[in-house]
Amino acid sequence: MAARQPRFNQQVLIDTTPLPDDIPKVKEIGASSAPLMSASFFIGARCKPYNDDYMVCKTEANGKGELECMKEGRKVTRCAASVLEDINKYCLEDFRKHWQCLDNNNQQLWQCRSAERSLNKCVFDNLKLEKVIPGAPENEVPVHLRKRQIFAHPGRH
Amino acid sequence: MPQDMPPTGGYEPVQYKRNLPARGFRASYYLIGVGLIMTYGFYRLGIGIRERNELGREKMWSRIHLIPLLQAEEDRDQVRRYLADKAREKELLGSETKVYHSDRFVRPTFAAVPKDLTK
Repeated sequence: MAARQPRFNQQVLIDTTPLPDDIPKVKEIGASSAPLMSASFFIGARCKPYNDDYMVCKTEANGKGELECMKEGRKVTRCAASVLEDINKYCLEDFRKHWQCLDNNNQQLWQCRSAERSLNKCVFDNLKLEKVIPGAPENEVPVHLRKRQIFAHPGRH
Repeated sequence: MPQDMPPTGGYEPVQYKRNLPARGFRASYYLIGVGLIMTYGFYRLGIGIRERNELGREKMWSRIHLIPLLQAEEDRDQVRRYLADKAREKELLGSETKVYHSDRFVRPTFAAVPKDLTK
């Protein structure tokens, strides 16, 4: 299913009717791709139960998940928003540095390891959220902790 | 008429071997050298491929952590439009028509153009 918004040249034809009042309101996340990517592992670390709940709900709803899983969806959004809020509160400087680096480097995570290291440290110290890549080989150093990044531009590490 | 005969003592030996100096090292040394270079190259290639696999895994998981978030937002938007469509239909037709013979949520193919256009 293509999830592309219709584009028109002359005007934006978007239905702006809000949701009915009996459905609780939730503020959308409102972040662009680079901050989301930068915070993704922390969102995953804190919100895994909610995320899993939502995906299970969608799977089991048998095609009606859009309507039936709204409650789980709101939890997912609120949880992710809380992570972003906390990161903004405690580690705004490092966070900004990292996602701007991602934005400037085609969102290649390996170009921004130094910024990422300080962000990870700050987030771990303040929020106790750790970046873990599931399924990585256990006898190797995880790729985001390696001193030398083979694919990074020279001088980046 | 006297017949043409070989010279006395026979012909001189014919030189069939080339008499060029052999330059460079023995061929086997070159073979070993190239083999070593290529072995090292493939070793480094292997390291690079493994690192790239790990980077791919990292990127994939960063996306996996975000998928529920993005999907939830999209679903909420779809439900909003769906409910708005239904309300509009009720208002215009006075009844709710079931278009599909299914309970599933179907993304609308056509969109109603809102009366007051937003720029």
